[in-house]
Amino acid sequence: MKKPNSTKTRKMIHVNNLSKSYNGTTVLHIDNLEIPKGQSFGLVGNNGAGKTTFFSLLLDLIQPSSGNITNNEVIVNESEAWKPFTSSFIDESFLIGYLTAEEYFYFIGELRGQNKSDVDKLLAKFEDFFHGEILQQKKYLRDLSKGNQKKAGIVAALIGNPDVIILDEPFANLDPTTQIRLKQLIKELASEKNITILISSHDLIHVTEVCERIVVLDKGETVKDIKTSEATLQELEAYFSR
Amino acid sequence: MFKRFLSLEWKQFSRSSYFQKGLAIKILLIFAALYFGGSFLVLGTTAFFILEDVFPGQDPLNVVNNYLIFWFLIDMAYRYFMQQLPVMNIKPYMIIPIKRETVIHYLLGKTTVSFFNFLPLFFFLPFSIVLLFQGYAPIQVIAWFFSMLFFTLSINYLNFLLNKNDKIFYTILTILVAGVAIEYYNIYPLAEKAGIFFNTIYEKWYAVLIPLLLMVLLYRKTYSFIRKGFYLDAEISKKTETVKTSELNWLNRFGRIAPFLKNDVRMIMRNKRPKQVLFMSGLFLFYGLIFYTQETYQNMPAFLAFASMFVTGGFLMSFGQLVPSWDSEYYKLLMSQNIPYREYLESKWLLMVVAVLISFVLSTPYIYFGWDIFGMIAAGALFNVGLNSFITLYGGVLNRVPMELNVKAKAFSNTQGFNPTQLLIALPKIFGPMLIFYIPYKLINFEAGIIFLALCGLAGIVFKNFFLNKIEKIYQKNKYKTIAAFDEKA
Repeated sequence: MKKPNSTKTRKMIHVNNLSKSYNGTTVLHIDNLEIPKGQSFGLVGNNGAGKTTFFSLLLDLIQPSSGNITNNEVIVNESEAWKPFTSSFIDESFLIGYLTAEEYFYFIGELRGQNKSDVDKLLAKFEDFFHGEILQQKKYLRDLSKGNQKKAGIVAALIGNPDVIILDEPFANLDPTTQIRLKQLIKELASEKNITILISSHDLIHVTEVCERIVVLDKGETVKDIKTSEATLQELEAYFSR
Repeated sequence: MFKRFLSLEWKQFSRSSYFQKGLAIKILLIFAALYFGGSFLVLGTTAFFILEDVFPGQDPLNVVNNYLIFWFLIDMAYRYFMQQLPVMNIKPYMIIPIKRETVIHYLLGKTTVSFFNFLPLFFFLPFSIVLLFQGYAPIQVIAWFFSMLFFTLSINYLNFLLNKNDKIFYTILTILVAGVAIEYYNIYPLAEKAGIFFNTIYEKWYAVLIPLLLMVLLYRKTYSFIRKGFYLDAEISKKTETVKTSELNWLNRFGRIAPFLKNDVRMIMRNKRPKQVLFMSGLFLFYGLIFYTQETYQNMPAFLAFASMFVTGGFLMSFGQLVPSWDSEYYKLLMSQNIPYREYLESKWLLMVVAVLISFVLSTPYIYFGWDIFGMIAAGALFNVGLNSFITLYGGVLNRVPMELNVKAKAFSNTQGFNPTQLLIALPKIFGPMLIFYIPYKLINFEAGIIFLALCGLAGIVFKNFFLNKIEKIYQKNKYKTIAAFDEKA
């Protein structure tokens, strides 16, 4: 990638006074949050902390009750111009069950302006990651195991050189080998390709290993914003065992 | 144990989300059930006398027996497509101490009380009672009635096997096709022999043992079939289908919307629900036969216009009304991907237009009924392409019901992808063309009606971009509501 490293400090995602409430109950409230370009950003929190809500707002799948999010200066709930450079895998509803993995990758490729050979070139790099269980399987995605579905979904999110990648719980359901490979992959994407990666996880070890920065959500509010260091894991464990 | 199952069943039914929401739908379905039950009841009570009139000199029971084979064949075909087998969530029962037999007997017992088994009784019971009043021998009539009941239940269990076992399905299908061929080419008069068979069952009352044995046999067969599959890896875990891949490169000529078209074609070919819709829309082609053959309608051309609309519009209406629902399983993907709504809609529109054109080509045999009728079908096709397609797409966005693609819709209990707004939207689709035809027909003449109908369709095609823009805006406006609704699994 020829993206200059100097842009690294440029902000990619900016959250302004964002809140989301359902029937008067606020489930997410973030006053201000900036994520610079090329950062690997981790979101942790217990169930109901608002992680998925935040990602859904970021993808304009739900409407904010107040405030907004800008993605590369595009206000996501007003314009669709963020879509070409943003990709995501949130859950199985991002897969098309009746397609084979290849067909799915080509479909996503076509949506993102990549032809077959572009996609094939990208897929070739993930042979290890797929571990021979995704391609040429003569199976529809709906018939793959949960872990393999996740692998397909994560790789599909890498098609088309996105600048922002959003992965919800990417480590869940993956086998140990794939978890290790995925960690490697995320680190590479952020450091070498200057891609902004947002992941959420319940696994504190994984997230501290992979992310430069970790934000803890609790009941919809940011309670910690940590630049990852040696002490981070302990700090997080102390927080969650309170 | 059965009692406990029943109470679970009741909870599943009364707590399901669509039950709590869609009271209107429930009422509608009850009406539909009453309608069909009522029609069969009327048919059952009057059939004897009608047949006496239509086939003078013949024994009405004889006539019925001669046609019974077709009755049962239709019953079988209809069930195959419409009756969804009651699936009990077996998984939780596998690890708790309940005898497998109990669960299976319960499961099969549940299929026995299906609406599909009661419907034929609405005909056979009154018909048998009429026979008794007409002085037919009671023992024979009662035995005949039970024979019919046993045959119906046999089909019920056979349907279970047909649905679950491809080998049996293809065997039966081959036998049926062979049977039709033999009959059609006059090699051997099968239908006549079947008539003789059913007449014999009536004449010799103890022949009731034949259907009884057949039913018991099929029950045992189904039982052992389920019994064998009563393991996690067999029946409950999803069956993986063999994949038929094809590149569909010929669709590339459609440019930007090609990826969506490819997806839609694959969606239709690889999922049960859309295949069912495809089958049903094929049946619409024959809709005209009902109207064009009846003298009564010849003087009511507005009704003919109505029928003509359906001849070419079957797929358009049944597929189109569920447009965003087809993609409900992965709607979030579509909404967060780099997809212009416009292209998504356009691909669906094109699919419907192609379906209308294909139906139109297939409808050419209607020329037999005269050029007036065929002209009407042609005008109807134009109207479908030009206006109904847009109305249907517009209606789709109001229909925010999630759908499971690979599950057949079961008649009278599945309301997936259906809601009352559909009915409201259906009204202009049906009565619009009738009016548009009728007014110039009344004021000028028949040809004027056809021409006016066609012109309206043409106008729709000319203003295609305008309509698509409007629909696109509505889809966009409803985006969040639609996502939220699709997120709620039915």
